[in-house]
Amino acid sequence: MPRSIKKGPYIDEKLITKIKRVAKSGKKEVIKTWARNSTIPPDFVGHTIAVHNGKKFIPVFITENLVGHKLGEFAPSKIFHRHGGKKAEKITMVK
Amino acid sequence: MARIAGVDLPKNKSIEIALTYIFGIGRTSSLHILSNTNIDPGRKVKGLDEKEVDSIRKEIENNYIVEGTLRVEISNNIKRLIEIGSFRGIRHKKGLPVRGQRTRTNARTRKGPKKGSIALKKKAKAKT
Repeated sequence: MPRSIKKGPYIDEKLITKIKRVAKSGKKEVIKTWARNSTIPPDFVGHTIAVHNGKKFIPVFITENLVGHKLGEFAPSKIFHRHGGKKAEKITMVK
Repeated sequence: MARIAGVDLPKNKSIEIALTYIFGIGRTSSLHILSNTNIDPGRKVKGLDEKEVDSIRKEIENNYIVEGTLRVEISNNIKRLIEIGSFRGIRHKKGLPVRGQRTRTNARTRKGPKKGSIALKKKAKAKT
């Protein structure tokens, strides 16, 4: 269920201040963040944000298409390596 | 024969049901269309005259996205999700459930029929 419209989108406040600071300085800087649940507002476009996936930071370049999505959507926290079992072992042995 | 949005409507069904044969129109929008065009939902398709069919056709053309255009829109939405590399796009690409359902069991609608290994089949046979 989406968030109530009355409240507006949730955007991490610290991230906003950081983005503003970077935008003012005019330097291209990667901002590290843990705020995976933060929505991407239009003023983030053009910045690169390193989103934590639980282990490391995944750099996400914000384009216009990403506006309205959440940061965590672009930093997968689970990686699938094929299933185990005898069959898979055989394949790895051949390799 | 009533033909709307490229779909032949079944003659012997009531118009409320017949309209749902069009992709993108269900019972709710069907009733909306009929109340907007002042046609009784219970009437059979074969009982409608050309004028009434035309008014329905116009109503659908102006206010609803149906059939091909709707299909294109849906596939474009999915394509967009895949292109931006979002979690939902990845799930679409892998053919797994998109909205956080469990995949340890079930999820057969998305995953398709079971592709069990031979060992599993043997086990099942031994049981019976």
